Amino acid sequence: MAMNNEPLLDIRNLEKRYRSGTLANAGISLALQPGEVFGLLGPNGAGKTTLVRQVLGMLRPTSGSIALNGIDVVADPGYARRNIGFLPQGQFDLEALQVGELIEFSARLRGVHPKDARRTADRLVERLDLGAFRKTSMHTASGGVRRLAGFAAAIAAPVNLLVLDEPTNDVDPIRRQLLWTTVAELGAEGATVLLVTHNLAEAERFIDRLAIIDGGRIVREGTPAGLRTIVTERLRLEMAMAGEVAPHPALTAEHGNPGCFLFDQRDLAAVSAWLAVLRESGLLTDFRIGPPTLDDIYAAAVMPPRELEAVS
Amino acid sequence: MTWATQYRDLVSMQLRSMRNELWFAAMIQVVLSLGLVIGFGFLIPDVSETTALFLVTGTATQAFVTIGLVMLPQLLAQAKEAGRIEYFLTLPISREAYLLALVTVVALMALPAVAFTIVLGAWHYDLSFTFEPAFIAVALLAVFSLAGVGVAMAVYSPHQQVTNALTQLIIFYVLFFAPVLLPKEQLPELLQFTSNFAPPTYAADGVRATLTDLPGTHLARSLWAMTGFAAGSLALSSVAMRRRG
Repeated sequence: MAMNNEPLLDIRNLEKRYRSGTLANAGISLALQPGEVFGLLGPNGAGKTTLVRQVLGMLRPTSGSIALNGIDVVADPGYARRNIGFLPQGQFDLEALQVGELIEFSARLRGVHPKDARRTADRLVERLDLGAFRKTSMHTASGGVRRLAGFAAAIAAPVNLLVLDEPTNDVDPIRRQLLWTTVAELGAEGATVLLVTHNLAEAERFIDRLAIIDGGRIVREGTPAGLRTIVTERLRLEMAMAGEVAPHPALTAEHGNPGCFLFDQRDLAAVSAWLAVLRESGLLTDFRIGPPTLDDIYAAAVMPPRELEAVS
Repeated sequence: MTWATQYRDLVSMQLRSMRNELWFAAMIQVVLSLGLVIGFGFLIPDVSETTALFLVTGTATQAFVTIGLVMLPQLLAQAKEAGRIEYFLTLPISREAYLLALVTVVALMALPAVAFTIVLGAWHYDLSFTFEPAFIAVALLAVFSLAGVGVAMAVYSPHQQVTNALTQLIIFYVLFFAPVLLPKEQLPELLQFTSNFAPPTYAADGVRATLTDLPGTHLARSLWAMTGFAAGSLALSSVAMRRRG
């Protein structure tokens, strides 16, 4: 067991270079404390999955170390498999195996007694509102039901660390809430959770700390509140335009969100004056100024400021 | 959790996850057996007893081949593509128990087809088969050697399409270019030589040695060769599944 203050998962200077030469992880260090819900964020190709696969003992690091409960899982990948519950990112298609069977067998294969495994499956099916799908085969189940069944399978037996890769993909809003509440409960009960997600706004309430990974490196790490300071000096502008116009020089375009910009609070008067002119000319149909969202932290961390294109 | 408990649970899990394919595979085998045992008879004007014995025992072997070297690798390649194998690889289970569970399910799919072929052949050509207890060892080793090679093929193939293409080639090879449905002597020298490296050769030889009085069979050699193929291929697959990139 982990000693006081000793991280449950301790990753140090982890580097993974594939045979193709691609450097997927370039010196990552992370420490997860027992009972912590830790978010791992990053764009596609940032190195998140590579990191997770090394923690699970499925990939061998090029250099660096990974310890779980103080045990070197690079040398003993079996220890990782025995002590980590995992929900992979891909579609969880286990053919004609039924949802209830998947949960039950996942518990049994992790050493839970068959009777207890059945009871666990009953409890999780009820907890995640999967009753109507208990006898649905994994092959015919919707993507959302598969994700939930996979999530239930990952938590069907007690583990030290739970690794969830995009757990809410395709899940409907109501069950999504059930899933997050269950993650929060697991955290409160002392489980350590490594959560890989793009959906920062949704996961924010349940995350104790997070790291943003880009280009194989950790570019930001801290609590959600702490990371907010990256963009606290800024404001967010949303605009709806009736025509095309060159944006104000104080604005920085928000990545992936046309019509959304960030600007320094000190430029508020100048931007407001510019908006008033646009409004008068009839080019601006609507606008909203507010504080930046947590997604802006992510964008600020991984995206270089872009050259502004004409706003239309 | 003991190895035996893992193996039992994995077999049960595989059977449930393949519950739709099981009857389908059985049906295909029945149609194949009907086609080969009866249909090939139409091609040959006067089927002698020896020819009939080759046809029936060859078709029985073909059932092992179709399930072990064709259906299993295709299913496994599909499982690899769909990420199913990854799920199993992250569980604290023995890789060997997982592979053996797969092979066991394959055996359960193949054995009824083998029995059906023998009964059908005996009835259609009015043949009488001898039954040596060693047939049980032959049947088990045929499953393990053919399914073992099938598993290795799927595990080492880079893509599902490669596996599927290979399995199609295997069907043609076994039907027309291997000493499975016909005596080795009828093949050109090159094919006689290459057949020494093909596991279906030894499965067919073993089946004939234990079910018929046909001359020229080598039971001991067949058992040893199949043991070698089974052990080698399962060891190779096990190594591939432990590989960590």
